[in-house]
Amino acid sequence: MKSGQGIVGGVTSPTAPVATTGYPWPIETTRLANGLRVVVSEDRTAPVVCVNLWYDVGSRHEPPGQTGFAHLFEHLMFEGSQHVKKTEHMKLVQGNGGSLNATTNPDRTNYFESMPSEHLELALWLEADRMGGLVPALTQETLDNQREVVKNERRQRYDNVPYGDAWLRLLPLLYPEGHPYHHSTIGSMEDLNGAALDTFKAFHQQYYAPNNCVLTVAGDASPAEVFALAEKYFGVIDPVADIPPAPVGHLAGPATSAVRETVTAAVPAPRLYLSHRTFPFGTAAYDAITVLATVLGSGRGSRLYQRLADGKRIAQPDYIGSYGVDLAHAPAPLIITATAKDGVPVEQLEQGLVEVVQSLVDEPVTDDELNRAKALLTTSWWRQVSTVGGRADTLGRYTTQFGDPATAGYRLPAWQAVTADDVTEAATRTLQPDSRVTLTYLPEEEKA
Amino acid sequence: MSLVTSRPEPGTARPYAFPAVRRVTAHGGTVIAAHLPGQVLATAVLLLDASAARESQGREGTATVLAKSLEEGTKQRDSAAYALALEGLGAELVPSVDWDAFRIGVSAPAPQLADAVRLAAEAARTPKLDAADVARVRDDEVTALRMDWAQPGPRADAALRADLFAADGRYSRPLHGDPASVAAVTVDDVLAFHQEWMLRPGVLLVAGDLDGLDLAVLAEAAFAGTTGQGLAADGPLGLAVPARPHVILVDRPGSVQSTLRIGHRAPERATTDYVPMTLAATVLGGAFTSRLNHLIREVKGYTYGIRGSYAMTRRAGRFEVAAGVQTAVTGPAIRDTLGEIRRTQQEGVTEAELAVARSWRAGQLSVEMQTPGAIAGALATLVVHGLPDDYYESLRREYLEATVEQVSAAAERHLAVDGLTLVVEGDGDAVRKELAEFGDFSEPAV
Repeated sequence: MKSGQGIVGGVTSPTAPVATTGYPWPIETTRLANGLRVVVSEDRTAPVVCVNLWYDVGSRHEPPGQTGFAHLFEHLMFEGSQHVKKTEHMKLVQGNGGSLNATTNPDRTNYFESMPSEHLELALWLEADRMGGLVPALTQETLDNQREVVKNERRQRYDNVPYGDAWLRLLPLLYPEGHPYHHSTIGSMEDLNGAALDTFKAFHQQYYAPNNCVLTVAGDASPAEVFALAEKYFGVIDPVADIPPAPVGHLAGPATSAVRETVTAAVPAPRLYLSHRTFPFGTAAYDAITVLATVLGSGRGSRLYQRLADGKRIAQPDYIGSYGVDLAHAPAPLIITATAKDGVPVEQLEQGLVEVVQSLVDEPVTDDELNRAKALLTTSWWRQVSTVGGRADTLGRYTTQFGDPATAGYRLPAWQAVTADDVTEAATRTLQPDSRVTLTYLPEEEKA
Repeated sequence: MSLVTSRPEPGTARPYAFPAVRRVTAHGGTVIAAHLPGQVLATAVLLLDASAARESQGREGTATVLAKSLEEGTKQRDSAAYALALEGLGAELVPSVDWDAFRIGVSAPAPQLADAVRLAAEAARTPKLDAADVARVRDDEVTALRMDWAQPGPRADAALRADLFAADGRYSRPLHGDPASVAAVTVDDVLAFHQEWMLRPGVLLVAGDLDGLDLAVLAEAAFAGTTGQGLAADGPLGLAVPARPHVILVDRPGSVQSTLRIGHRAPERATTDYVPMTLAATVLGGAFTSRLNHLIREVKGYTYGIRGSYAMTRRAGRFEVAAGVQTAVTGPAIRDTLGEIRRTQQEGVTEAELAVARSWRAGQLSVEMQTPGAIAGALATLVVHGLPDDYYESLRREYLEATVEQVSAAAERHLAVDGLTLVVEGDGDAVRKELAEFGDFSEPAV
């Protein structure tokens, strides 16, 4: 896209501009002989380029006893490879002006670096070296060190923070034993302690294959240049045959009996998490859930804020909301949370919360509510693609999960096409009390 | 299979340029706008000289309570109607308070920006500030602060600040106050703060595709009806570094990590050493491959991450190292941290380390300044610190030209390992005994 004009046309109301596509930049793709899919989205606005790799492996692939391995493995990818010495990866990216990171979730693992564009080739070389040559560089010392780092990550992000383990508790309540989303990505301390070097070597050989990866380059580079460099650096890497799929995530509809868990812990106030399994990310039904979550719990104009933080004034205004977790390989969770104001019993908060959730089934969503939600989602979409990094990751996701990067352009129009009836239907199908997980945190002094 | 064995050489760099800046002065205020062709989203930030430093003693948090009260309705409409109007544009109000300014930001697709700025100005200039609403927001803020202070970090931050700025009034207290000071804020405090500081025109920062934005319209939206002149800036607070290290334990029984906040005072943002200091801190604790992160995380595995940096505002600065370390290694982690600070102060940096720091800081100016929000923030830095429009180009040049001698000299001048305050927020029973060796020990009553 060379200009923002023209793509925000077709206004249907004074406040809800409708986009014909959410991805107005060019997209070109190719596939190397070894199966690596390469996606390029050129934009010459700034001398910056992002290189992003989505590997189709996440914690959903982990067998019992190996929870946390996909994520620990992600850490090992920064510790050197065949031609890159330990610590050199970070030094070369930052030392040439770049920003980098990687993340692991239940679905996938992504790696990305945004660089001044004259260092595009360096980034591709680094990524190819750790795709094709990690195993020779993996040592017990590195594994032991990164295991401790990851255990500290778990302490810092989950164990040492009030309510920090909510997500870890919700997953096994939402997904049955054996389901790929049953366990958390960070894994258990016990499994991490048992992690053996050979397991990680095998993990890399199994999943870090060109035919299990999407390479996306967005920004200051041409498709021809990127395709040639991809061939030069990645073309020599052999594909892996018969990569085993993750366990099947199929679930026959929403849960059929409600589940509750109450935790008494060092938390400053009672807090509730209500959660339901909904639909997989990428489906029209999940688009309705995305709009529903925004109507329900995003912003001061949301039902939760208006009725419980304002309105009844039983919930703390800074800690109320709802959101879907965008997982694609099984019905994704919708999470609804509220924290009690001083002196408000948790039972009263729960009753209020349940009433507002039920209102999505019983009270039609108004035009104002729907327009507000769509306008907020529109802004959040454009924010996500306002950087070359955001764009590369978006294209990597849609290529990996839906087979075609161009499908990224459909999400925003799909949100904008959701009707009030769609939201009501989604609420009716997913927000039944029988399918609800209720996680309650109580401060320790309130222990019965 | 044979991978390419040698590292590729860089291509030809395209010249760096900060987006073109345009100015419009109207209605007593100035719009400063950066052109980002092709961006669908645009951001506007109303920058007012109404910082936390203007709060009165014992009432720290007044500006924050005001910030959170702005959306409780305006003279024109109630809070529900306001939320619907603003969020119907896809915008949300983002008010924030720091040591130098009060900011009210909005982001929206460019065609909606003028309406969003109009609503932001309506909340900033003519909030309803009904007494009952302000009191409720104040009470909610006390509760929110207690929630926040239950996490590791805020209590340690407060202890460090109290020690570093003990003699400097407002600067010795947390930026957003603490639960007690916010509880003491009265409705009159909030009304008076608004009346005194929020009605001058200020500056509107805009970042977006200016081909679709009318700056005169934005100026009118932001400044119409305002009066008053800009305020004179106060001078720097000066430097005070203790003769011996202070050690402060903040007890957090049962904590599985110790939260470290280790620091001392430093010059304010206007210092001529800004570039070499920033590069020295990058070598010590800024980049992933910094001395601290390398030793404490990558070699020892004590932490998920450790950072060292200077933070500099208009009137004061400080050096700080921050980390969460596993409880059992609290003493060793502090010892290693002090060792690296001492080494950097006494021996300076090497060319290899500085090369990484230079390129990283220079590259970040383009890599991390892509969004309208980031560019609006960069414009705010120009205004708050009185810097010229070509500042980022010259900053980039200064980063790239800094020598080992300059950066090592800055490290020697602006690090003070024997004058540090070491705050440890952690399980007192587990760590108390090993802290005495690091300096004069104290443990404030909870």
